[in-house]
Amino acid sequence: MIDLLLAVFSTTFLFTVIRTTTPLLLATLGGLLSDLGGALNVALEGMMLIAALTAVIVSVYAPWYVAVLSGLFAGALLGALMALFHLRFKADIILVGFAVNILAVGGTVFALAMATGGDKGTSINLPSKAIPAIHLPFLEAIPLVGPVLFQLFSGHSTLTWFAGFAVFGVWYVLYRTPYGLWLRGVGEYPTAPEAAGIPVNKVRLWSLIGSGAFAGLAGAQLAMFNYVGFTRDMTAGRGFIALGAVLLGARHPVGALLAALLFGFFEALAIVMPNHVRWMPGEMIQTIPFVVTVIALILFSYRSRRASQLKTLTRI
Amino acid sequence: MTASASRPDRFKVFRAELGRALVALAMALAVAFLIILGTSADPWQAFSTLVTSPLSSNRTIGLWVDDVAKLTLTGIAFSLVFQARQFALGVQGQVYLGGLCATLVAMSPIGTTFAAIPLAIIAAMIAGAAYGFIPGYAKARFGASEIVSSLMLNYIAILVVNYMVRAHLAPPNTGQLMTARFPETAVFPAIIPGTRFDLGIVIALVTVAIVWFALYRTAWGLKLRLVGHNPRFAEYAGIKANFIMVSAMTAAGAVGGLLGAVFVQGRAFGQLAIDFDGNLAFEGILVAIVARNRPLAVPFVALAYGYLRQGAQLMGFRSDVPSEMIAVVQALVILLVASSFTLPGRRFIARLLGRGEADPSTAAGGSR
Repeated sequence: MIDLLLAVFSTTFLFTVIRTTTPLLLATLGGLLSDLGGALNVALEGMMLIAALTAVIVSVYAPWYVAVLSGLFAGALLGALMALFHLRFKADIILVGFAVNILAVGGTVFALAMATGGDKGTSINLPSKAIPAIHLPFLEAIPLVGPVLFQLFSGHSTLTWFAGFAVFGVWYVLYRTPYGLWLRGVGEYPTAPEAAGIPVNKVRLWSLIGSGAFAGLAGAQLAMFNYVGFTRDMTAGRGFIALGAVLLGARHPVGALLAALLFGFFEALAIVMPNHVRWMPGEMIQTIPFVVTVIALILFSYRSRRASQLKTLTRI
Repeated sequence: MTASASRPDRFKVFRAELGRALVALAMALAVAFLIILGTSADPWQAFSTLVTSPLSSNRTIGLWVDDVAKLTLTGIAFSLVFQARQFALGVQGQVYLGGLCATLVAMSPIGTTFAAIPLAIIAAMIAGAAYGFIPGYAKARFGASEIVSSLMLNYIAILVVNYMVRAHLAPPNTGQLMTARFPETAVFPAIIPGTRFDLGIVIALVTVAIVWFALYRTAWGLKLRLVGHNPRFAEYAGIKANFIMVSAMTAAGAVGGLLGAVFVQGRAFGQLAIDFDGNLAFEGILVAIVARNRPLAVPFVALAYGYLRQGAQLMGFRSDVPSEMIAVVQALVILLVASSFTLPGRRFIARLLGRGEADPSTAAGGSR
């Protein structure tokens, strides 16, 4: 138990937390955008999975940044598809989201088998690329805290840094630009922005596209940095955990960051624990992120219900 | 107003729904054909396997019927919660936990007695109901989104079953990821000897009847449907929406647990294995959506969808197209049935026939 505590308070563990948080954070930001626009995006999981496979396959033939962009576009395209069926054909957004998830679970295995010539499990035979890590050797030169900072912040994926800045970017767009105001207005009370002449459906369309784009980046990070290569069902519920993080994050980008960090922490814990806690079976350790999500969701919902009502959530 | 006036109306709705489902199926199959055409070396053989193979032998017909029973049960479970407009997606978790509890009963000393089948079923239903109750209570009491909590519980249940099978229930020192076969008294008897045509299909049909009765012939069912249609009206009418919500999720959980028992005690398994549901539990979403959450329509949808599912599995074995291709068909059917789409060019044809200009709404309204 003591060595587990020591491991948790080491810089290598915090490094792992940052790594496991990155895809969660990107997906949570995506979920936040669509949730603020009034549509709970349950398809984050499927979007991540499809984008991960797209990025892996593209990275075989193109440089890494093209692959990441292709993942982004795959997610954005799925967001546009959801918007088409939800806004134009009036389908329930949750059913549309689950159609995307079902498409993703089977469709990625199908596409993987096609791309690898029959392998339905992994893309191990494809020479896919990784997102380059950003090394910051100058951090070590800082006296006292230098080595710690170096171990913590050097060697992360480019997308990790992007995700960090994206929290600020999303906050800026949401609270300092008219588009953010439109988006929040559309989610809160669509009749008012409509009366003010704001194109409500267009705002919703772009919020779903943006949501998909972030989920796509999350998938690319997962399959090109956290793991290099695609495995079937590799998202393993991360999209749904991100959905929980959206609800937990009080619909604010900073809240989303904190919630993603919380779940990232427990995911990292589940990675580290098998080496330190021998009496606990591996399967039980793997349930930790899911158990924590349920508990956190219940505790937080209880608090926020008493404080105020989350509009989209009580409606469904 | 009166029953006689509503009869033809209901028939019309039925015909329109059937038409929609068939159109969606035809469009999805057309897309499936295009995909097969693009990926297979022998597309015609692959496609004909997809659409004809389930009828090719007694064995495949048995597999199909077996799937229909299971799809009916999961479809019923999803219909129950969807009727109350709750998106609890925990059937998979209930199936796993129900299967686990049925296994515990079947492998205990009770398993060799005549009480094995009923007791295992009851244990599974209780476990499923409890597992369905959790997200319902969490939503009613704390306001926690049932979507997220039920999905998390699915993952937890699968991992728990994996652990129990690997560490405790599998025969020791074999490294198998399944239990030994249950004693014959704990496995459903075959209705037609030598096939998989067993008690499961009877259980499924009885469940359909019970759920239909509960939904359409009891006060609870009326309240449940009211809460689903118009929660605010239900609130004004003095219906305890929270109680209805939780009880709907619990009842659906019991059906999910029952499906778990049907899985492990059916002749197809007769044992508990890891990952035994083959993602079938989730496909109840599709069945429920296409059946418009009507219990009586669920078996028919399950019949059609089970056929397609079996065809896809056989296509995966017998041709070079992976069976997962069917995911495209599933997603398209959900998208098309859930949306109020109009056929492309329908309005144009109507205009050609000189009807479109008189009343443009008929072109769009005909499909809904």
